[in-house]
Amino acid sequence: MSAPEVFQLSLGPLTGIAFSPDRSQVCVCPNSNEAQIYTRNGDSWDLTDTLAEHDKLITAIAWGPNTNRIVTCSQDRNAYVWTQTEQGWKPALVILKINRAATSVKWSPAENKFAVGSGSRVIAICHFDEENNWWTAKQIKKPLRSTVLSLDWHPNNYLLAAGTADGKVYVYSGYIKGLESKPEATIWGDRLPTGQLLAEFRSPNGGWIHDVAFSPSGDALAFVAHDSSVNIIYASGPNEPPAAHIVVKLPALPFTSLTWTSESSIVAAGHDCQPILFSGSSSGWSLSNSLDDPSSSGSKPLTPSATGVRSGGVGRLGNNEAFNMFKAADSKGQRSVSQPGAGGSSSTASTGLTQVGQDGLLLTVHQNTITHVEAYEWNQNGDVSKIFTAGRDGRLVIWPVTSGGSKGGLAGRMAGLQV
Amino acid sequence: MSEYAFRKINIDALEEEVLLPSDLYDPDPRGPDGVLSDAQRKSGEVRNLVSKGDIPGALNAILSEPPYGEGVDQAKDLTTSSLLLILNSTRAAEIPGILKALDQEQQDHLMAYIYKGMAAIGQGSDVSGSVLLNWHAQLTEVAGVGCIVRVMTDRRTL
Amino acid sequence: MSNTLRPYLNAVRATLTAALTLENFSSQMVERHNKPEIEVGNSPEVLLKPLIVSRNESEKVLIEPSVNSIRLSIKIKQADEIEKILCHKFTRFMMMRAEGFVILRRKPLPGYDISFLITNFHSESMLKHKLVDFIIQFMEDVDKEISEMKLSLNARARIVAESYLSTVSCPI
Repeated sequence: MSAPEVFQLSLGPLTGIAFSPDRSQVCVCPNSNEAQIYTRNGDSWDLTDTLAEHDKLITAIAWGPNTNRIVTCSQDRNAYVWTQTEQGWKPALVILKINRAATSVKWSPAENKFAVGSGSRVIAICHFDEENNWWTAKQIKKPLRSTVLSLDWHPNNYLLAAGTADGKVYVYSGYIKGLESKPEATIWGDRLPTGQLLAEFRSPNGGWIHDVAFSPSGDALAFVAHDSSVNIIYASGPNEPPAAHIVVKLPALPFTSLTWTSESSIVAAGHDCQPILFSGSSSGWSLSNSLDDPSSSGSKPLTPSATGVRSGGVGRLGNNEAFNMFKAADSKGQRSVSQPGAGGSSSTASTGLTQVGQDGLLLTVHQNTITHVEAYEWNQNGDVSKIFTAGRDGRLVIWPVTSGGSKGGLAGRMAGLQV
Repeated sequence: MSEYAFRKINIDALEEEVLLPSDLYDPDPRGPDGVLSDAQRKSGEVRNLVSKGDIPGALNAILSEPPYGEGVDQAKDLTTSSLLLILNSTRAAEIPGILKALDQEQQDHLMAYIYKGMAAIGQGSDVSGSVLLNWHAQLTEVAGVGCIVRVMTDRRTL
Repeated sequence: MSNTLRPYLNAVRATLTAALTLENFSSQMVERHNKPEIEVGNSPEVLLKPLIVSRNESEKVLIEPSVNSIRLSIKIKQADEIEKILCHKFTRFMMMRAEGFVILRRKPLPGYDISFLITNFHSESMLKHKLVDFIIQFMEDVDKEISEMKLSLNARARIVAESYLSTVSCPI
């Protein structure tokens, strides 16, 4: 069990993040209209490229693992597909035909198309138009009545799940005629014209849907909603109610992102600032443990502790004690004199109020809401062995996961924790 | 001036696709009359149980399938006043045990009623703020802030 | 500190922590705009249920959450006319300088004395638990501040009255 790797890529939030296929580069948006590509250099990340074409905040970034293309989408209503050439990354405009912000983007598994969710109550499924040499979109409109916040593709490359701000989750067919061969029937549906609605679900207590994800097999769908719930739905067959809709309600703050690490485990993270592992099956799900261990001493140091923190130009001063003290006082209102702990923080661990350490920082690795959780590395069984998270504190963290969710492994881990 | 009045019309509200607050939750399958008779039966039951000193039983009864949504104001008022009666007649030392016995759904409902009770203070309610604040603190301890988040997100107003 | 202030502030803290779960949300009504939805108020699905935490009829806090902003309004205790005037002057002084307080709203909601507007941009650039601490600190201090001002006002009035009356009183 190795410790998580922690990198400070920016001082502000990271609004979009995607790793390159070989994990040597990462593309992030530091809460601005530009995406930056960092290249890993030992224990630090060096800025190598800047993708500047959008004129408003970039909301999502996706990097195709097979085709090595980046797609970015932004609140300026546009999306660009970036291709690497010898002269650097070249953008290609996507004809989205939307008139509100684009909120999320995902490459399909085969990477011949991608989906963009938007605030204009439309999902655009985009594919490359050879004739005109641009990316063009087919739109799904019905029955969307609110902003689409999240998207995920089924592993079969045809089905698409979407979560919206009015608390609904839809499963659509994302098949595009003329681009790909006719899809075979799945457990979610058998008739699959473009935009066909196959299933519809609602969050249990009405919160908007922050993230949706199909399981690795595609037979189950998980989503996290703003009512602090994690929902897992097992499909039973076309046009039939789901075999199970499992709801795990949490005592803590809502999650904003989730990812399947195997067929029987999920990692979710959000406003609680720590990634939490869930495990279960179609008979029931439960919280197993947090990947972050707040009980271990105080705030965690950043991984490149010796080389100086890359934090927007202060690298040389990063280790200067006086500078750090001033920075803390300036950005966090923290004085060098020790402050009394926030009221009642000792008994709040179980109730979900965030725990605050002596230095006024949170005891978790992330200091603010985690906005992205995604798989980073897989083991030989095809299960996820490492995940990465990025948050509003500008930190990128790579966490090892005890995958598989087998009882023995977990019990062993818990026993290890008590020693 | 009247020729400019059309400028103030909210045209977004006239769109066919517009999302109405009532679209955000499913209506109660019992219908307004069923809800009202249920509420009347339950409030009688609660008065009975409270007089016998069976607070957990009374809470259990009132917090399962409470009335929600539009057009059932009378049932809502009945339920709220019965619930506040229960809260008022509970000894402070018993509260944690009672709360732990409730299931998650009931805890969420109770939290919603506590907030409703606090909103009504100063508008002819006979419950004191300190009683409600004590219940609130104990319930937060047991059910966490997630419970408060669910009160906010739930469109089925109690 | 009186014994019901602590639970009151704890309830506000818990409610505020639950409400401060904001995200960047671009307007779905107006193109290329990003406005605090709680102030715009025309998309019902992104507004959440407003909650009131109250201690008694003269002291309460209204928290109105939405997807990218929350509005928090405080009704401050005012026992008599002097406190009413002091409270009005005090909150007015601050609200006229609202830009210096970042999260302060220029106008309170009707029925309340002072309102704060916290957006996702604030919770991104500031630590969330510090924001909560600030509001709680403010609520603790504002009561103290007003009672102190009332005491000093009364003391001044007494001195003024004494020195005024001493000129007209006949020496015995």
